[in-house]
Amino acid sequence: MALDPKKHEMPSQDPQVRAHNFNEVALGYTEEIAIAEAQRCLNCKNKPCVEGCPVNVNIPDFIMKAKEGDWEGAYKIINETSTLPAVCGRVCPQETQCEAKCTMGIKFEPVGIGRLERFAADWHNANATEKAVAPESNGHKVAIVGSGPAGLTCAGDLAKKGYKVSVFEALHTAGGVLVYGIPEFRLPKAIVAREVEGLKDLNVDIETNVIIGKTLTVDELFDEMGFEAVFIGSGAGLPMFMNIPGESLKGVFSANEYLTRSNLMKAYLDDPKTPIMKGGKVAVVGGGNVAMDAARTALRLGAEHVYIVYRRSMEELPARKEEVEHAIEEGIDFRLLNNPVEILGYNNPDDPKDPKNGFVKGIRCIKMELGEPDASGRRRPIPVEGSEFELDVDAVIMALGTRPNPLIKNTTKGLEVNRKGGFVVDEDGLTSREAVYAGGDAVTGAATVISAMGAGKLAAASIDKYLSNK
Amino acid sequence: MYKVVRRKALRPTVTQLEIEAPLVARKAKPGQFIILRVNEEGERIPLTVAGVNPEEGTVKIIFQVVGATTELLNHVPEGGYLQDFVGPLGNATETEGIKKVCIVGGGVGCAIAMPVAQEFHRIGAEVTSIIGFRSEDLVILEDEFNECSDKLYVMTDDGSYGRHGNVTVPLDEMLAAGEKFDMIITIGPLIMMKFVTLTAKKYNAPITVSMSPIMIDGTGMCGGCRLTLNTEEGPVMKFACVDGPDFNGYEVDFDEAISRGRMYFDYERRAHEATCNLFRQAENA
Ligand SMILES: Cc1cc2nc3c(=O)[nH]c(=O)nc-3n(C[C@H](O)[C@H](O)[C@H](O)COP(=O)(O)OP(=O)(O)OC[C@H]3O[C@@H](n4cnc5c(N)ncnc54)[C@H](O)[C@@H]3O)c2cc1C
Ligand SMILES: Cc1cc2nc3c(=O)[nH]c(=O)nc-3n(C[C@H](O)[C@H](O)[C@H](O)COP(=O)(O)OP(=O)(O)OC[C@H]3O[C@@H](n4cnc5c(N)ncnc54)[C@H](O)[C@@H]3O)c2cc1C
Ligand code: SF4
Ligand code: SF4
Ligand code: FES
Repeated sequence: MALDPKKHEMPSQDPQVRAHNFNEVALGYTEEIAIAEAQRCLNCKNKPCVEGCPVNVNIPDFIMKAKEGDWEGAYKIINETSTLPAVCGRVCPQETQCEAKCTMGIKFEPVGIGRLERFAADWHNANATEKAVAPESNGHKVAIVGSGPAGLTCAGDLAKKGYKVSVFEALHTAGGVLVYGIPEFRLPKAIVAREVEGLKDLNVDIETNVIIGKTLTVDELFDEMGFEAVFIGSGAGLPMFMNIPGESLKGVFSANEYLTRSNLMKAYLDDPKTPIMKGGKVAVVGGGNVAMDAARTALRLGAEHVYIVYRRSMEELPARKEEVEHAIEEGIDFRLLNNPVEILGYNNPDDPKDPKNGFVKGIRCIKMELGEPDASGRRRPIPVEGSEFELDVDAVIMALGTRPNPLIKNTTKGLEVNRKGGFVVDEDGLTSREAVYAGGDAVTGAATVISAMGAGKLAAASIDKYLSNK
Repeated sequence: MYKVVRRKALRPTVTQLEIEAPLVARKAKPGQFIILRVNEEGERIPLTVAGVNPEEGTVKIIFQVVGATTELLNHVPEGGYLQDFVGPLGNATETEGIKKVCIVGGGVGCAIAMPVAQEFHRIGAEVTSIIGFRSEDLVILEDEFNECSDKLYVMTDDGSYGRHGNVTVPLDEMLAAGEKFDMIITIGPLIMMKFVTLTAKKYNAPITVSMSPIMIDGTGMCGGCRLTLNTEEGPVMKFACVDGPDFNGYEVDFDEAISRGRMYFDYERRAHEATCNLFRQAENA
């Protein structure tokens, strides 16, 4: 049988239609397409794809099951290493991870590993009937701080081993970035909610509205509440700004604020209780997944025109390839090699009560050119003198990256952090304090769902080792 | 869910609730706040902790009905529940080493100022309080302030109660007469705090302002609560929820804060009307 050189296309909503709704963009393979895609896998003995996956999902084995249409079998293999396959199949940057190493990709397009993973997980979620059963308790108590992918994974792994696990979450809903950051059209909230429900079936307590460092301290978790180990998966949630004039004008948002209003506070639904700016022209500054999500959210909320302003070129865009392609199809206007220098505000000198006063009216940018590669290996953007120009916009969304929140560090003695505020951990995920582990974005700075999940897994294994030997 | 244990109307639009929230009650210090959601669809709004009862595990809040969410909150009966209640947030008011303090509260800001006044009184500082309201029917917490203040001035804008005039009037008089305070702290509408700051500046008196910008998470995650401080090193951006809510009044860019506070003005007005209509329909049905 001749091998299909191309990956089977993902059935998707029409760009014109989906640009105006929040339903999932990628509709998922049908079983027929999924099996056909699985058949493209060569079942390589040396398994290069597995190396590309941060948690080493046993890819060829699960695809072999997929070829037979044994989706539950495929799911079980994925689930041995990845606890959130329905999530990772959707949001992993496969083109730089598993699929980047795929043998098929040398000559042709790689196998659609992520898409198959998604199909297997969705199949399982739709068809599996058995509920997770909590194992007998081993009497040990572990506290998890933060309910993002790192925390949820660590909680799940420990609960399956019989630990009594409590997850403490600052916000009112569990899920971390998966609920407040990544929009519904990329990752339906029901999928995350299902994962959280699964943990509850395993007797995990999910305590929302508890901020560690404020409501309770790490020391209190140990001394007063009897937890024997703590895992910190508090993420990297602090937004950065550019320090340019005009950033405090009305209509300038951090991507976190904009996406939180839309996702967590549900401004994406009709008749929302949370206000959000709709319509007008919007500039999103940045080139990562966060920038793409903000831009596409703005479009769906009714913006007439959305720019992405990014200081490097298309090659350096750090966002997932698929999201960039989707954004282009939807009509997002990419203004690459441009950097904002000032946000311009409306001011009516004749009428101090003019309701438009203090709102954004434009953004001034400077053109950039690429120079020598910098420490990260990417070519450094250099401003082109005298090339400033203005774009008329009504809102500016800053998607420039995030840093870890210092709250826990500031309220916990003996917790070391690095220059960027990330917790310092050893190869077991142990921090500088006994029995306190950390992982995910709180350690690495903003990274990926799968790496956060991997860190949660590693810490769960370390905590298990530590407490079983205690 | 968080139970409303007690409810007391202080004024037709000012209500005090005591909420069962033992973890918050154990920790909250004067000057800190909480964020609540009334129901599953609701907005998150910040309100100051107006007192705690750690034994009973309850937290007191006092709020004025100004918009949709506070309207909704005002309809939660005694024995009812709030969806979410998280805290304590922000930093407690700095009280160390303060022997003589002047507290200037305006409107519902007096509810925020009251626990601070009580704390200063408890630690033995000499407390002068100036509380101001638009008119007699809005005066709140006079007895409470009387109890914890060595000197109390009650002001109304229209002269319908207490002394006629703004809160800056007695402050200016005292400072002009040579009174020295270790700290003046003001809590109320931005425009009032701006003028209290200008009054203090005339006499080079130290002034702390308690900022209340629009907030969402209250943990430093959204940056919606940002404000600009004009420091000696130039302008710096701060997040009121984690760096504040108290700031040095001399540094705060009030005009920017006033402008930002009105970001959603139209939306808020419409949302409030819609909420009132809902309640009206329910009453008529
Ligand atoms: C908009 C957006 C889009 C993204 N898109 C992708 C993508 O397509 N693919 C991908 O792989 N990655 C993506 N990422 C990155 C990915 O989401 C993160 O790397 C990942 O979520 C990190 O997981 P985490 O568990 O470490 O932290 P988080 O998901 O940040 O979760 C941390 C949780 O801890 C809570 N918390 C923080 N402090 C405290 C405290 N003191 N007490 C209690 N709780 C606390 C927070 O409220 C939060 O819920 C995206 C990120 C964003 C923001
Ligand atoms: C740290 C902090 C502590 C606070 N403590 C108290 C308190 O103890 N008691 C109390 O009554 N109020 C307090 N507030 C103000 C309170 O949060 C707002 O009144 C509330 O969010 C209004 O919500 P709403 O939906 O009812 O009105 P909205 O429809 O949101 O707003 C109605 C009106 O209130 C103004 N407003 C909106 N948000 C705020 C805000 N954060 N601060 C001031 N005005 C605002 C709007 O500009 C508008 O004019 C505090 C605010 C902060 C930030
Ligand atoms: S978890 Fe992510 S990187 Fe690993 S195989 Fe699945 S899609 Fe690829
Ligand atoms: S490298 Fe590609 S073709 Fe080879 S086993 Fe992995 S997925 Fe299949
Ligand atoms: S309220 Fe979000 S950062 Fe302060």
